[in-house]
Amino acid sequence: MIKKLLKSKQAMIGLTLIVLVTLVALWAPLIAPHDPNKIDVLNRFMSASSQYPLGTDQLGRCVLSRLLIGASYSLGIAVPTLLVLGIVGLTLGTASAYVGMRWERVFLSICDIFMAFPALVIVLSLIGALGQGLLSILLAVAFSLWAWFAKVVWSYARMEISKDYILAAKIAGCSDRRIILYHIIPNIFPQFLVYLSTGIAGMIIMISGFSFLGLGFEAGTPEWGAMLNEARSNFYSHPELVFYPGLCVLITAAGFNLFGEALRDMISPEEVNE
Amino acid sequence: MIELKQVSKQYRVKDRQRSKLKVNAVHQVSLALCYQKSYALVGESGSGKSTLARLIMGIEKPTNGEICLDGRNIALMRSRELRLKRAEVQMVLQNAQSALDPRLSAYDSIAEPIRCLTKTDKSGERSKVFEFAEKVRLTSEQLRRLPHELSGGQQKRVCIARAMSVSPKFIVFDEAVSGLDVTVRKEILDLILQLKKDGIGAFLFITHDIDVALYMADQLFVMKDGSIVEWIENAASYDDFHHEYSRQLIQSLPPKSPNYRKESVNR
Repeated sequence: MIKKLLKSKQAMIGLTLIVLVTLVALWAPLIAPHDPNKIDVLNRFMSASSQYPLGTDQLGRCVLSRLLIGASYSLGIAVPTLLVLGIVGLTLGTASAYVGMRWERVFLSICDIFMAFPALVIVLSLIGALGQGLLSILLAVAFSLWAWFAKVVWSYARMEISKDYILAAKIAGCSDRRIILYHIIPNIFPQFLVYLSTGIAGMIIMISGFSFLGLGFEAGTPEWGAMLNEARSNFYSHPELVFYPGLCVLITAAGFNLFGEALRDMISPEEVNE
Repeated sequence: MIELKQVSKQYRVKDRQRSKLKVNAVHQVSLALCYQKSYALVGESGSGKSTLARLIMGIEKPTNGEICLDGRNIALMRSRELRLKRAEVQMVLQNAQSALDPRLSAYDSIAEPIRCLTKTDKSGERSKVFEFAEKVRLTSEQLRRLPHELSGGQQKRVCIARAMSVSPKFIVFDEAVSGLDVTVRKEILDLILQLKKDGIGAFLFITHDIDVALYMADQLFVMKDGSIVEWIENAASYDDFHHEYSRQLIQSLPPKSPNYRKESVNR
């Protein structure tokens, strides 16, 4: 499996991009040449130079530093949220599929209700209630996405539970807890991992999208979506200011998507048995 | 002693018009199976054989009637008690490949009932697994393999060793040889008979093949549409079957010699 992964070009490109963005996110404060929030009105819209490798924006802030710090915003929000959502999804999904009957139907109806609300509506109402801030964004993402995760896990678990080896495990005297932990979860985990790694791309785009609309972050935060929004008004004179953060979002999302999809191709049905 | 008293099982299904239908999978079956004899249950597909096996194992609850293991009604048992009863009554499922967890090695699959049902330490578990693996003729190298790396017959033997690993008093074999090659089939059947001689207690062999049933057991049940239509003790040949349906089953066996071919086509 790992060997196959190393051979796959798509997976390696994806992985390289992921590692690159992660390293940047971790080391951003150290490698950023300038303070990303330092305003220097005299040096507005400077083109690339040795002092400012990618130039400066409309307030004279170093674009490169802002982009580097932006990576830690995107990943710093997306990864923990994803972990929380993954755990919630895994627990609720497998539990409801295993218990079955009435509880399962209740669970599915609740999921459907949550899935019916677009994330944007939830984030708007949360920001209305809690005010601007990271917390609103996090809650909104979690609120609008948990049902998707739980339902996907549910469908994987449902499929596994109907297989004979779960019945055989019951006959072998396994307790319910053992069946869930030793049989169901390890068997749905590869598919789930694929879902997570493609899901993270969507989440990064979602978060950037919110901040592009001015939701969640304070004005001036070096977040990619927010930078896009600020650069919008100078698009005709300085298109590169829109181009850079857009490219960053693209690279990050593409990295996770490429890797996730390569992983999915590897775990096609006949190879799940390996 | 496993006793079934007037056991019925109904399933509710929906037909094409989405109206509810009730299907009697098992209808008013009374049986007593003791832990010393071998039994075989014959019937066509859909006659309720597998449902009966599931009822005996307590995987499904009967709609009517009661099933008692050693005098205790399994419907009244707590789930923990029923779980521990599995150490006495085991089952080998129909499809060996899907009955094994694709991520567990043959060794772990065989060891699982020992881990779940008995308090055996690692070395005791190891010696037990190897003991039963040897009985079903699996090498220690094969024990390390994953299910998909084993052949159909080997998978079946892993399932049999798994059911035997807790030394149960009674084993239910559900279609243990269907879907296997003829040569492998004989091998598995002889293996089960040999194991019976070595003392695995008793078994109930469920099959649709009347020849196999005759070969395996001396107590035969014939099942049709959820009811037991005939019960024969010490069956020795086809002549012992008297019920109309049993005769019909025998008649539909393919003839053993090509000379009969013409005859049956012309008829």
